Amino acid sequence: MTRPSQARLGLKTAGRGNHLTTSPFSLQRPAFAAALDPKTISRAKLGDIDAFTAIVEAYHSRCLRFARAMLRNPDDAEDMVQEAFVRLYRALPRYEERQRFESWLFQILGNCCRTANTAARRHDVQTVEDDDVLARVPSPDMPDTQFDHEWGDDVRRALADVPDYNREIFLLHYIEGFAYDEIERMTGIKQSALKMRVKRASDMLRTRLAERYG
Amino acid sequence: MTDADHDPLLQRAIDELRQVPPLDRDAVRRVVSAAAAARLSAADEPMFVERAARGRSIRIWSAIGMAAAAAVVGFVARGQWRTGGERPAVATALAPTSATPATTLQTAAVSDADAKPVLQQFVFDNARAKRVSVVGDFNTWNPSSAVMTRSSDGGLWSAIIPITPGRHIYGFMVDDSLFTLDPRAPKVRDADLGTDGSVVIVGRP
Repeated sequence: MTRPSQARLGLKTAGRGNHLTTSPFSLQRPAFAAALDPKTISRAKLGDIDAFTAIVEAYHSRCLRFARAMLRNPDDAEDMVQEAFVRLYRALPRYEERQRFESWLFQILGNCCRTANTAARRHDVQTVEDDDVLARVPSPDMPDTQFDHEWGDDVRRALADVPDYNREIFLLHYIEGFAYDEIERMTGIKQSALKMRVKRASDMLRTRLAERYG
Repeated sequence: MTDADHDPLLQRAIDELRQVPPLDRDAVRRVVSAAAAARLSAADEPMFVERAARGRSIRIWSAIGMAAAAAVVGFVARGQWRTGGERPAVATALAPTSATPATTLQTAAVSDADAKPVLQQFVFDNARAKRVSVVGDFNTWNPSSAVMTRSSDGGLWSAIIPITPGRHIYGFMVDDSLFTLDPRAPKVRDADLGTDGSVVIVGRP
């Protein structure tokens, strides 16, 4: 019998066991979006605002997706994406074309998000001191009817439990499609450590979701 | 094989997270306006004048930048600019840009006499380059702003440019494409952009 939560996910049980079957997933990392015309980047480097607009249009949605998943306060995502593009625009004259533009953009955006999370963490520590208040704060670990138990919300909530330093690498690899060698160049972290971080993030995400959907 | 190959639940979560939000063209316009406002500074003005006759895109940039600067002033005046992080704030839009808001505030706090630009000489050794310019936070990294002059023997490039007193990050742009540090100056990691820059302290004589 299919459990309601599994049915919502499109997962089916086979026979009497609790064995899940789905269509095979052939792609683990998404294919990169069509690369931006190098001439567009060169024109933007020289200050052409039309070319810069084309760059923003090409990457804004992906940047927003990344920022929403990275930030402790997803409502700040749009501001953070704007800040990253402003920094990118100011730094464009320094961009070297042998670098991959997309890596450079996500490196800047990652830095912005990390800075914002650090500030948010500091703010949390300073403002939440009352144990009674803490006890009333709903958390993903406790049942609360105020939570919307839709699949997408559950996934995002589970992801938010993954520590920032593991979540960022997980997102860069599985969601944005960067290969480990590229993430190594972007972050300076060795590939073995990157793979461990992705594994830890995957394990935690799987464990959290299995509590409800497993 | 990866974790997700073996785990449909995890793969399904990844598919969910891969959903791309629809493109918000208003947000794109806001981003472009903010970026143009951030680059619209006193340091940019000569470039705008110089390029004004060259083409349509620069005129559009200038117009958008002016409009964006006005919009930024409006946001600040109405108290709608949210706090936190570096923003294309009014100081950035109206005064020479600097690396951080703190520096901008410091610059704004000093007296007019202290803020008066000081002539600073930059020298760079590269015999093979065809064109070299000084780029830094003092000229918004604009390679057209401070083009260096080649010495008679052909190997040494120099430029003397006015810079507001303070600590500045800079480098040399070789042939409009290769950013190079000054080998004779201390270098610092630019936390925002992930690249190194050279440091110069400009002070009153």
